[in-house]
Amino acid sequence: MGLLYSTLKYLAVTLWSVFVIAPFLWAISTSFKDFQSVTNGATYIPWVDFEPTLEGWRALWKSPAQGGVAIVEPFFNSVFVTAAGSAISIVLGTLAAYALSRFTFKAGPIRNGDITFFFISQRIMPPVVLAIPFFIMLGKFSLLDTLMGLILVYIVLLMPIAVWIMVDFFNKVPREIDETALIDGCNPYQAFYKVVLPNSIPGIVVAGMFCMIFGWTDFFFSFILTFTEVQLLPVAIVALNSSITPWWSLSAAALVSVAPLVFVAFIVERFLSKGNLSGALK
Amino acid sequence: MAEIELKNIAHSYNPQAADMTYALDPFNMTWVDGGRYAILGPSGCGKTTMLNIMSGIVQPSEGKLLFDGVDVTTLSTSERNIAQVFQFPVIYGTMTVEQNLAFPLVCRNYEKSVIDAKVEEVAKALSLQGLLKKSASRLTADQKQLISLGRGLVRDDVAAVLMDEPLTVIDPDLKFRLRRQLKEINQKYRSTLIYVTHDQNEAMTFAENIIVMDAGKIVQVGTPAELFDRPKTTFVGYFIGAPAMNFFECQAAGGYKLSIGSAVIMTGTDLSKVGSAPFKLGIRSEYIRIVEVKGANTFSAYVQRVEDMGNYKLVTAVFEGHVIKVKVERDIAVPADSVELQLPAENCCVYAADVLVS
Ligand SMILES: Nc1ncnc2c1ncn2[C@@H]1O[C@H](COP(=O)(O)OP(=O)(O)OP(=O)(O)O)[C@@H](O)[C@H]1O
Ligand SMILES: [Mg+2]
Repeated sequence: MGLLYSTLKYLAVTLWSVFVIAPFLWAISTSFKDFQSVTNGATYIPWVDFEPTLEGWRALWKSPAQGGVAIVEPFFNSVFVTAAGSAISIVLGTLAAYALSRFTFKAGPIRNGDITFFFISQRIMPPVVLAIPFFIMLGKFSLLDTLMGLILVYIVLLMPIAVWIMVDFFNKVPREIDETALIDGCNPYQAFYKVVLPNSIPGIVVAGMFCMIFGWTDFFFSFILTFTEVQLLPVAIVALNSSITPWWSLSAAALVSVAPLVFVAFIVERFLSKGNLSGALK
Repeated sequence: MAEIELKNIAHSYNPQAADMTYALDPFNMTWVDGGRYAILGPSGCGKTTMLNIMSGIVQPSEGKLLFDGVDVTTLSTSERNIAQVFQFPVIYGTMTVEQNLAFPLVCRNYEKSVIDAKVEEVAKALSLQGLLKKSASRLTADQKQLISLGRGLVRDDVAAVLMDEPLTVIDPDLKFRLRRQLKEINQKYRSTLIYVTHDQNEAMTFAENIIVMDAGKIVQVGTPAELFDRPKTTFVGYFIGAPAMNFFECQAAGGYKLSIGSAVIMTGTDLSKVGSAPFKLGIRSEYIRIVEVKGANTFSAYVQRVEDMGNYKLVTAVFEGHVIKVKVERDIAVPADSVELQLPAENCCVYAADVLVS
C-alpha cells in the first residue's frame, strides 16, 4: 500500500514536472538555434544535433533596422508599469482592507462585506467589458498610449486582488493586537503602522506577488490601450509572430519575459520557507 | 493611580436593533484606588465587556466613567493610561521579548534608562531574563502570556491594571507562583488590580473584594468571607463554594421560624415583615453539624453516601426528599444510616424570591 502509493505519487509528480519543464527546455534550445536548425526537422541536443548560436539573444538588443527585435524598452516599460501599479495597489489596498476589516461601515443596506465584494466583483467581470470604457476614459484625458494611462488601468485591475487578500489576512489578525497597542499607548495610526503593519508583511508579500503576476502577464489591456509610443513586453513578443517568425529571438524573448516571475517565485519561496508566514501571530 | 467610578454604565452590542439586549445592564460601581478585585461569573455574563469599557476599547452605550472624579468617558484608550492583559497571549511577533516589554514605555516616551531598569525588573519578576533577546514569535504559549503580563506590569503609574483571565493558558505550578507575584507587585505599587477569573479559588485567595456577575448584572460585591457566609442571591450561593450552598424550599412558620417539611427551623432573620414569597433556606455544608441528641433546629436525616475528600468528609444525606450536603472533619464518625443534623440559626440565610432577606 505504502510503496504503491509513493510510487504512484512520484510518478505523478514526475509526469507533471515533464509537462511543465519540457516547453522551457524546448524554448531554451530553440533560442540558441539559427534558421537552418529550426527549419531542418526536429533537433534536440546542442553541438550534437545542431550548432548553437547567440544570434537569437543578440537580436533582443538590436533595433528592427539592424535585424533585431528591440525587446529592451518594452521590457523596462513592463517592469515600470507592473511595479508602479502593484506598489500603488498594495498601499491603497492594504489601507482599504484594514479599514474594511476593523471598522463597521453602513450605507443604507450596504455593509463591510458588500464593499469587499464590490472590489472583488471588478475581477469577476470579463475584462472585455471594461475595454471600451477604459479606452474612452483614457482618451478623454489624453492618456491613451502612455505609461501613466496603463498604470491607472493596472491599479484598477490589481487593487481588488490586494484588497481581497489583505481583508482576509487582517481578519485573521486578532483584534486584540490592535487593542493591546492602544492600551500600550499608541494612537490608532501608530497601532496600525507600528504593530499591525509589521505583522502583516507576509500577507503583503503574497498580495504583492499576485499583483505582480497579474500585472506582468496582462496582454489584453496593454494591447488595446497602446499603439506606437508605448509598448509592453507581452505585446512586443506577440508582435514578433509575423509572416517569417524569428523563432530563436521569439524563444529568447519569451524566456526573458518569464524570468522575472521565476525570480519573484524564488524569493517568495525563500521567504515562505524561512517560516516568516507562519507563527507571526499567536 | 486613581479611583475609578462607573456611573449608570450600561452596554449593548446592538443598540439600534428592535430587540436590543444589554450585554451589561445599567449599574454603578466604584473601584477604590489600590484595591485588589476579582470579577467572577459564568461565561458570557459581561466580564470582558466591563473591562473593555474601563480601558476604552468599548464605548459604553450609556453612563459615565470617572477617574478620580474626572469624566474620562470620551478619552481614548491611550489617554486613560490603563494596563490590560487579555485571556490569550498577545505579542508583537516582529519584536524581541525585550522590545515587547519596553513597548508601553517607548510609546509613552520614557527615558531610556528608566525603560531599561523597568524592563529588567519585570523580566526578573516573571523569570524572562534569559529570553530578552529572543524573537517573541518563537516562544511557547505560556512564555508569550508572560510577556503579555509583563507588558501590563511595566508601567507603575497606570490608573489600573485589568487582567482578563490571564492565567488560563498557564500550567498550574507556574500559575500558583504568578498569582503570588501579582499580589506582591500589587502590594508594592498599590495600583488598582482588577482580575477576571472563572476560578473561585483563585478569586478567593487573590482578591480583597470579589464582584460576582451573572447575565449582565453585578449580583454581589464583597469580601470572600461575606460571599461565603451571606450570599446575596441563591445564584451566588450556588456559584461560590464547593460544594454549592444547600438550599431548601420552605414555608414561613411565624416570627423567625421556617418549616422545612415537618422540621421547624429557627433562623436569625425576622420574617414577619416579609410577605409570603416562596422562601428558601440556604446554609453552607461547612456550618451544618452532626449532633448526638435531638434539640432545637435539628432533624434526622438518612445518610446516603459518605465521601472521603482527603482533608474532610462529605456526607450526602436526605431529609423528606431534600438532599443535604454536610462537610465534616475527617475524624468524626458518621453513623451509617440515620443522623441528627443541626442547622445553627446564625448560619441560616433566608431567601425570598431568590434574594437574601436581611
Ligand atoms: N463584539 C461583540 N459583539 C456582539 N456581542 C458581543 C460582543 N462581545 C461580547 N458580546 C456578547 O456580550 C455578552 C457579554 O460578553 P463578554 O465577552 O463580556 O462575556 P464574558 O463574561 O467576558 O465571557 P467569557 O467568560 O466567555 O469571556 C455575551 O452574551 C456576548 O455574546
Ligand atoms: Mg471574557
